[in-house]
Amino acid sequence: MTKSVRFFWRRAFRGRDAAKKRFLAGTISPLVLYMAFWTLFPLVWGLALAFFDYSPRRAGGFLGFGGGNPFVGLQHFQNMMDFSSGAALEVQQFHIGIKMTIVFAALVVPLNMLVTLPLAFMIESVHKRLRGLFRTIFFLPVLAPSVGVAIMWGFIFHPQRGLLNAIIGKFAGKLIGINWLGDPNIVIGGIPIALFAIVIAYIWQDLGYNMVIFIAALQAIPDNIKDAAKIDGANRWQMFTRIIVPLMSPTIMLAVVLTMISAFQVFDIIQVMTDGGPNDQTQVLLLNIYNYAFRYQKMGWAAAVSIVMFLLVISVSLVQTRLLRTEWEY
Amino acid sequence: MTTTSIPRHRRKFRFNFAYIFLTFGSLISLLPFVWMILSSFKTLREVRQIPPTLFPEEFTLDNYDKVLTDEDLPLGIFYRNSAIVALANVVQVLFTSSLFGYIFAKFDFKGKRALFWFILSLMMIPQQITMIPGYLILAKLGLINNLLALIIPAGIDAFGIFLFRQFAHSIPNELLDAARVDGASEFQIYGRVVLPQLGPALATFGMLTFMFNWNAYLWPLIVLTEKNVRTLPIILTWFSNQMVDKTNLTMAASVLVILPVLFVFLLVQRWIVEGITLSGMKG
Repeated sequence: MTKSVRFFWRRAFRGRDAAKKRFLAGTISPLVLYMAFWTLFPLVWGLALAFFDYSPRRAGGFLGFGGGNPFVGLQHFQNMMDFSSGAALEVQQFHIGIKMTIVFAALVVPLNMLVTLPLAFMIESVHKRLRGLFRTIFFLPVLAPSVGVAIMWGFIFHPQRGLLNAIIGKFAGKLIGINWLGDPNIVIGGIPIALFAIVIAYIWQDLGYNMVIFIAALQAIPDNIKDAAKIDGANRWQMFTRIIVPLMSPTIMLAVVLTMISAFQVFDIIQVMTDGGPNDQTQVLLLNIYNYAFRYQKMGWAAAVSIVMFLLVISVSLVQTRLLRTEWEY
Repeated sequence: MTTTSIPRHRRKFRFNFAYIFLTFGSLISLLPFVWMILSSFKTLREVRQIPPTLFPEEFTLDNYDKVLTDEDLPLGIFYRNSAIVALANVVQVLFTSSLFGYIFAKFDFKGKRALFWFILSLMMIPQQITMIPGYLILAKLGLINNLLALIIPAGIDAFGIFLFRQFAHSIPNELLDAARVDGASEFQIYGRVVLPQLGPALATFGMLTFMFNWNAYLWPLIVLTEKNVRTLPIILTWFSNQMVDKTNLTMAASVLVILPVLFVFLLVQRWIVEGITLSGMKG
């Protein structure tokens, strides 16, 4: 660099460092303040709540702690371990919540994969002009509000006026009155029938997500691999099981994790369809937290339950970051 | 006979079983919508009929008339509420995500790594853990039953910052330095150089944010308890609980709440699909 050029650069950038600093100070400090108040502070507060017997109805000291809302230490967590039949109602409901949340995810994840993987493969195999149409039809429920989905399906499952019983009745040749969402006595394999009904509605709405993710992954598989398999005489089924699924395994793993995390956090559809009933049979964790925090105002207990839920979600999330960090190659 | 190869996209229709499965599946997938729409045109007597009919025997528009003139259900207000919240959140989230994504991609400052790590870890924390204290803060600020309760705490989207950082990385430094030589201020560089480069990402992420906000249920349910400040999803469940047995009216209201926006989302579907495949993001 000649002297004059260097002089030019120095002139051009004089004050630039100061300007950058001003720019950073003007943007980063509001960000830090905002995050401190709206994320860090609630996070710490939420953790603290779990160690108090807190209700917003009672008066207390700083942030409502102390006074009518005494410190109880690990009491909430100790209570959670009480598996005796004489346990408090909230503890029994918590146990149902944990169990049903895990059962729900355990039903949703494999069923979702079983539907969406072949679905994506089939959509990719049809004539180009029809692909968009089919994809749109199966994607449509994703765009609808889950509340609307719950209301629609609630009506389909209606014992007397519902579509499902009418269809079954047509085939059976008699009136069918199964109370899908309200009969606590029909239990299949330890799982109440209302949960099955919710799983169906949930998967109906949710499958579009994984479908489009899988379609994108299918399109990313190089044609020469598929062509080579075809030349070797692979049929569609072999192509699907031996070539496509193994090549897509990183995407499938990621989809499994994401589907599981969102299944753990199910709320809308259950709150509207059954509100946890019948007999608390479908009271998943988040519904449990919502009820105790905002209906019964027992926020200390609810905060403790949300920590348990947080641990459940975070353990799966950690697997997700592991997967995201891994580099995959064909 | 000649066997010239036909380009893949012009290949003739070749039948396979996928067509049967997909057609059947499509019917199942559309059935709930069809059932909702058909039921909304039935009379009360007909929805109570056992066993139910699929097509309305007696086609009526009364249900829509009743829902639209119901003074307890001013749909216009709820549409407006939902639109205010969704639009405000799209604007602010796009602004903060693109700005801080750009800053994390192109600037160095003290504490950058720690701050970015904190934002990243927020992506893994489920919203439910800050739900209770978040409510208490808003209650202290007197913002319960105010649409601002859905807007003010939603200013930062950790995922958005992460996403835009990836995109901003690919903006050439020469472009930014050229603008600096030309004497542009740092904010001008962000607004006139960086933002246009992020255009497609803004469209994609904006649509996704709008959709999630429009359909949101849990948080609005917690902070909006008075009727006229509510957003559409909560008012729909409220209405269906009021109308317990008048399913025809609930279905008409559902059609009015769901279908118009579903149609708009359908038009911008391309961006939403792109956003989901890009991010693997879920509602």
